[in-house]
Amino acid sequence: MHSSDAVREGLIPLLPRLRRLARALAGQAADADDLVQVVLERALARAAQWRPDAPLDKWVFAIARNAWRDEMRTRGRAQHLFAPEESGAAVADGSDARHAQQLELAQALAMLPPDHREVVALVLVEGLSYDAAAALLEVPVGTVTSRLARARAALQAHLGNDA
Amino acid sequence: MNPIDDDSLQAYVDGALDAAEAARVEAALAQDEALARRVRQLQALNAQLRAAFDPVLDEPVPARLSALLQPPSAPEGTVLPFRARGTEASRHRHVLRRRWLPGAALAASLALLAAGLWWWQSGNVLMRTQGGQQFAAGALAHALDRELASAPDTQSPVAIGLSFRSKDGQICRSFTVRTPPARAGLACHTAAGWELPVFGAAEQSAGGELRQAASELPPAVQAAIDARLRGNIFDAQQERAARAAGWR
Repeated sequence: MHSSDAVREGLIPLLPRLRRLARALAGQAADADDLVQVVLERALARAAQWRPDAPLDKWVFAIARNAWRDEMRTRGRAQHLFAPEESGAAVADGSDARHAQQLELAQALAMLPPDHREVVALVLVEGLSYDAAAALLEVPVGTVTSRLARARAALQAHLGNDA
Repeated sequence: MNPIDDDSLQAYVDGALDAAEAARVEAALAQDEALARRVRQLQALNAQLRAAFDPVLDEPVPARLSALLQPPSAPEGTVLPFRARGTEASRHRHVLRRRWLPGAALAASLALLAAGLWWWQSGNVLMRTQGGQQFAAGALAHALDRELASAPDTQSPVAIGLSFRSKDGQICRSFTVRTPPARAGLACHTAAGWELPVFGAAEQSAGGELRQAASELPPAVQAAIDARLRGNIFDAQQERAARAAGWR
């Protein structure tokens, strides 16, 4: 099978997870799906660079993370990146109480610096191991754990979970 | 024995400790209520994040995204073999299937331009208003009644996109008017005919590089689909069955 076919077919079952990761990175649903679109286009364009013995999910998650960083750089010049009050659209509807809680969480996430937000998305939302996240981000494992600890502290402070 | 530091607690909560280390943390938790409370906070935050984002896994994938992963040479009218791919595939059964491809659509619309111009000048009644609601009329109503996305009629001025049953139980179909001025919309079948909750110009959305390869569906139509979609997009067989049942 041609590598582009293998990548294209391999990406189909990954779409839900890719959308979840993008939602955690980008915040709003529409922005997240725009990001997924860019990721799919890049992945297909670079299919020849994927080695079949490498996990496709981590390969495409790395593309997603880099595309998100690129997008933030582009947007950062023009406008504020995340309007926390708009980020409520990031999360799924639920009951009102759950919705309010998720709105708060989305706002807290939107306020994290990108370095912290991406470890939250990769480790806590996608469920990558520390090692896998470190490899993907090309940083030492200790950097992942320290960013994660600081991100958690910021989230909990924002959410008032310190009790 | 070393005290349990915050890094160890975090790693414990994230399942990143080996069995021996995890056992050491658990022994300490049993002795130290402050540590145990800290672990519960960390676990609560993890659970909150999962509750916020895991529902995305169960959302239908927007058609414009799954369309990018269709084989470029898919013959028209075939249902792509997503469902034949075992358990992983069945989990993602609602990955949308796109049956006509942008390239084919472009070719078809170019081929239709002359016919379309004739048709455009010969009367352009595609819509009627009844009780303040917009309904499909003329060639649009005919296409919605008759045409199958799985067996596209390249001579028709209307291209049917996706068909599905909405949350309200109505059958809805997206469509593109291939004759100028390009328009697109969503039609939902009611007792009074094909109601048009969205019908408007199919322009390229302005500017943004992220949208440059978006499907032809304008964002308003895509949003109308996303808001109504409950289950699967119809495959060819379901589409035929729905037509046979009068779109009810």
